Amino acid sequence: MTNRFLGFGLGLRAPHFEQIIADKPAVDWFEIISENYFVAGGKPWHYLNKIRADYPIVMHGVSMSIGSIDPIDKDYLNQLKNTIARVEPHWVSDHLCFTQVGGINSHDLLPMPYTSEALDHLANKISQVQDYLGREMIFENVSSYLTYNDSQMSEWEFLAQLHKQTGCKFLMDVNNVYVSARNHDFNAMDYLSAIPSTAIAQIHLAGHQDFGTHIIDTHDEDVPDAVWDLYAQYAKTLNPVSTMIERDDNIGSLDDLITELEHAKALVKPFWDIRS
Amino acid sequence: MSGLAKLQQQFMDLLQGESSDISEQIAQQGQLNTQQRLSIYQSAYKIRLRAVIEQDHEQLGIYLGDDLFEMMVDGYLALYPSTHTSLRIFAEKLPDYLAANTPFSDYPILADIAKFERLLLSTFDASDKTLLNVSELESIEPQQWPTLLLKLHPSVQLVVFNTLAVESWQAIKQKQTPPEPRVSEPRFWVVARDAQRRTQYLSVDAQEYRLLSLLKQNTPFAQLCQSCLNELPGEKIAGFLITKINQWLERGWLISE
Repeated sequence: MTNRFLGFGLGLRAPHFEQIIADKPAVDWFEIISENYFVAGGKPWHYLNKIRADYPIVMHGVSMSIGSIDPIDKDYLNQLKNTIARVEPHWVSDHLCFTQVGGINSHDLLPMPYTSEALDHLANKISQVQDYLGREMIFENVSSYLTYNDSQMSEWEFLAQLHKQTGCKFLMDVNNVYVSARNHDFNAMDYLSAIPSTAIAQIHLAGHQDFGTHIIDTHDEDVPDAVWDLYAQYAKTLNPVSTMIERDDNIGSLDDLITELEHAKALVKPFWDIRS
Repeated sequence: MSGLAKLQQQFMDLLQGESSDISEQIAQQGQLNTQQRLSIYQSAYKIRLRAVIEQDHEQLGIYLGDDLFEMMVDGYLALYPSTHTSLRIFAEKLPDYLAANTPFSDYPILADIAKFERLLLSTFDASDKTLLNVSELESIEPQQWPTLLLKLHPSVQLVVFNTLAVESWQAIKQKQTPPEPRVSEPRFWVVARDAQRRTQYLSVDAQEYRLLSLLKQNTPFAQLCQSCLNELPGEKIAGFLITKINQWLERGWLISE
């Protein structure tokens, strides 16, 4: 179910709520940040209910902390489950990382070590979470600024192994791969081509800040040429995958984001059998 | 402790500013050294949480000025690291922090402004309920009125300040000079959403505040009437309350149950 091609979507952000409801722009679907709707009501739900009447919605979480050594947070999962029941999303995603340790939340997507211990741990946690929610989830690769001495394999070998072990699918953030490739000096296509194409359920495209010596994944800029190039190259190797522009800061106009989305569509049109 | 558990704890210790051996775990590579790589995460941690406080407490931040705001952020982060998955809740204890820690506690208005801003947030995303309408009210039989329980909308919140917190907040928002931070007579406020889901705040007198507080406590209409006996002649109480109820109805404060 999670591999269904929904087309080309955008992250749903508050500054665009009213325009989306009024103009019904040509966007195939929207992705919401799950935790933004862990509230009882008011404007967030008012707008979401109107928008979900016209568009498919998928949910994207930032706080599951699936890689954490802390036990599964049942309160969090209950809130997620309740939100899933209200939203009825096409799929639900979160990140392959840890955010919380010892009950303290960093609110950052901290990288895992690529070890067999971490693999077994993640496989066990993913199984627990999916059992609790009663549905499959998909998981996003995070960008990173460091790697660990203990790592026994590359990040892409780790993801491929996790897929083999659990069958879990991925939200591939092409920008994150690019950022990590620059920060850790590897070939981004080596990474992307190592993950079975059937394991890719969604793609994120985003911008970043390039400081020369390193890149910070900020999601506050237009998608840069290098990420577009990587996406186009990657798309050649895939069947159509639901693709989304993710902008979290310096959000700008909806029209600008739709222009970026049209660019994404134009790039992959030669390789994917999609209607314009 | 497993290798994974040890690494994650060391990482969190680093972010919390505690002693950590995490640098021994970081691979040497590329153009950045280990400290530079770790500092990216250290900076992001503080920047992200600072931004939450700044966004949730915009007028408080302006009232404090840059230096005191930074002092507050550092102090709050040290005492109240986030224990929630939602950033929406992270600064929930800021009023408590400001009330209990110098130099902020020397100025009670600071905790009150923070509390007011938290109430605005709580009102914004309180649950939705169907509003009571005039015809429903008119259809209530006379014999049902004594035991009638009127329900306030979940967004309705009541607060008393002994400072000019709301007046100061309003002045800052309008880019005007706030009044002197003197202690004042109690000021009674209602923060609530209107029928269009806009967050509003309104000054009320002690009597109206008491009546609304009684509604919050599920007090029947007859007891609302009794509570007015010291203030109004008996024959005027019912009419007075009906007027009040109609005002609350128009403001979208009463719900249909």
